[in-house]
Amino acid sequence: MKGAELVLKVLQQQGVDTIFGYPGGAIMPIYDAIYHSTVKHYLCRHEQGGAFSAIGYARASGKVGVCLATSGPGATNLITSLADALLDSVPLVAITGQVSQAVMGTDAFQEVDVLGLSLGVTKHSFMVRDVNELAHTLQEAFRLAESGRPGPVLVDIPKDIQLAEVSEPEWPTLPTARLATSLANAAKARQLIAQAKKPIAYIGGGVQMADALPQLQAFLAESEMPSVTTLKGMGSVARANPHYLGMLGMHGTQAANLAVQQADLLICLGARFDDRVTGKLDKFAPHAKVIHVDIDPAEINKVRFADCALLGDMKQILPAISTATQCADWLAHCQQLKQQYGWRYDHPGERIFAPLMLKQLSERMPDNSVVCCDVGQHQMWVAQHMRFNSPRNHLSSGGLGTMGFGLPAAIGAKLARPQDTVIAVSGDGSFMMNVQELGTIKRFRLPVKIVIIDNQRLGMVKQWQQLFFNERYSETDLSDNPDFVALAAAFAIPGHTITRKDEVASALEAMFSWPGPYLLHVRIDEKDNVWPLVPPGAANEDMLTETN
Amino acid sequence: MQHTLNITTRNEASVVERLLQVTRYRGYQLAGLAMTPLTDRAGLQITLTVQSEKPITLLTSQLVKLYDVQQLELASADVAVLRA
Ligand SMILES: Cc1ncc(C[n+]2csc(CCOP(=O)(O)OP(=O)(O)O)c2C)c(N)n1
Ligand SMILES: [Mg+2]
Repeated sequence: MKGAELVLKVLQQQGVDTIFGYPGGAIMPIYDAIYHSTVKHYLCRHEQGGAFSAIGYARASGKVGVCLATSGPGATNLITSLADALLDSVPLVAITGQVSQAVMGTDAFQEVDVLGLSLGVTKHSFMVRDVNELAHTLQEAFRLAESGRPGPVLVDIPKDIQLAEVSEPEWPTLPTARLATSLANAAKARQLIAQAKKPIAYIGGGVQMADALPQLQAFLAESEMPSVTTLKGMGSVARANPHYLGMLGMHGTQAANLAVQQADLLICLGARFDDRVTGKLDKFAPHAKVIHVDIDPAEINKVRFADCALLGDMKQILPAISTATQCADWLAHCQQLKQQYGWRYDHPGERIFAPLMLKQLSERMPDNSVVCCDVGQHQMWVAQHMRFNSPRNHLSSGGLGTMGFGLPAAIGAKLARPQDTVIAVSGDGSFMMNVQELGTIKRFRLPVKIVIIDNQRLGMVKQWQQLFFNERYSETDLSDNPDFVALAAAFAIPGHTITRKDEVASALEAMFSWPGPYLLHVRIDEKDNVWPLVPPGAANEDMLTETN
Repeated sequence: MQHTLNITTRNEASVVERLLQVTRYRGYQLAGLAMTPLTDRAGLQITLTVQSEKPITLLTSQLVKLYDVQQLELASADVAVLRA
């Protein structure tokens, strides 16, 4: 068989049945093999969109996402998505065609040094130089993408390798990398927890990625303490848990931020002290000792010193550090913070108040719906006002904050979980960044629900201009937006525009009862802002709210 | 402070580039670099000297994660300093 056919064989052998991509000269032999393959290929309309769909697929399912692109412009179009997957630790295998080895290094047509370009945005990048190494390299790529801390891996395959004859290799079952877990510090961690008067669990995306949600609930039950989550950790704590305080950080809840600032012990579980979480680092949780649990040794002491670190499999570590706590006063205090600073949904006037509308959406959507976000104010409102029962149901571009993520991610999520409702919540700015993926939705009649929160602005940037740049609104006006409902109609997607509060409930009803894809265009006041907000350079207790 | 790292890697075309990229990105200044293929040519022996006020462990923890890096040691003078 040819190298190209072997690529498809390896994908099958890895259990891959869904791939996303876009053809072109240097990857034509692989596309020729796809023609006869049972692996289902979904044609995106831009390689960035295809890779985001693969990311959405991976994040909604826990499997490795796979995307394909041709050499040169196809491959460079993947770079943003690779960076997104790296910063959010998403298992992704990107396969790129490359010009033939005979002309490599001559500035051949559509030749770009993709290996070199990709190094900074992947866990590893391979170039296949010998067709006899093709199968093994691809297997390694899959193993690497999902082992340890997951991430993107690129495999660049020159065209002559795709065309070369190769015999089907034996399929050695690669040993699955065993996680080295050290429980040496477990006793110390238990001691710190038992002695703490004000402990708090700070939960990131790593807990769910380790498949350790049941262990987390058990830990929080035995070591009864308040908890907060990062953007990626949202949905980790069971809804029934009374001590959950919400998201922390720049747009976190006041209760979460104040509790963390007052805590004497921070138990960081699969999180990394990102600057959007900590605010001014040397004022973050200033009284707290830190227990840091992670799978990546490089995260320990990277930005915050850990008094006690445990590395390895969260599933084993959580039970090992569980211990009873003595902190009834602290629990009561955090309850009081939660009550005092609860969300308020009263809002004057007839216009739609996005936080309330998203709360209604959250209550109305079927259980286990997947919500895919874009980036901006609407993203923060989703995080603040919608509830999720697993991080797999809230796909938001965290580390890279990439506008254009939501729509293609929703396509991938829908293909990963066809039985579940998938909703893309986008902004009028972000939606336009991968709007071409409506073509993918149309072709495959994917029943994705799209909600555009339209403030006719690049709202998040506008908010910063208002607060920190003396109201100089440089290039953030989008008041000449296209007619979004007409745009959807061009892709045979029905839609509806609403502007008033009293239209919300029936509009949601109409959207969910429609069997196919649907676009709900929600006009809001451009003056609405996201609160609270920790200004840049401030400590997390110094949150700005609407009234101050 | 100056630190010297002895690194054994796979003999892959992009490995030196990758080491240098991580070194620069993490904020360590390059002060020396030597490289020789191992006798079987399957690997490389790389000596990397860097300069930074940051703790060297913040760089080594990133370098040992690289797929092509097989072994990494701080040169003995450095180890003595770390222990002191
Ligand atoms: C690709 C990309 N370019 C620029 C930015 C910077 N940025 C962050 S939020 C934002 C505005 C987003 O506007 P919109 O999608 O309408 O959301 P809104 O804030 O109005 O809800 C911009 C430009 C980004 N995050 N990603
Ligand atoms: Mg907007």
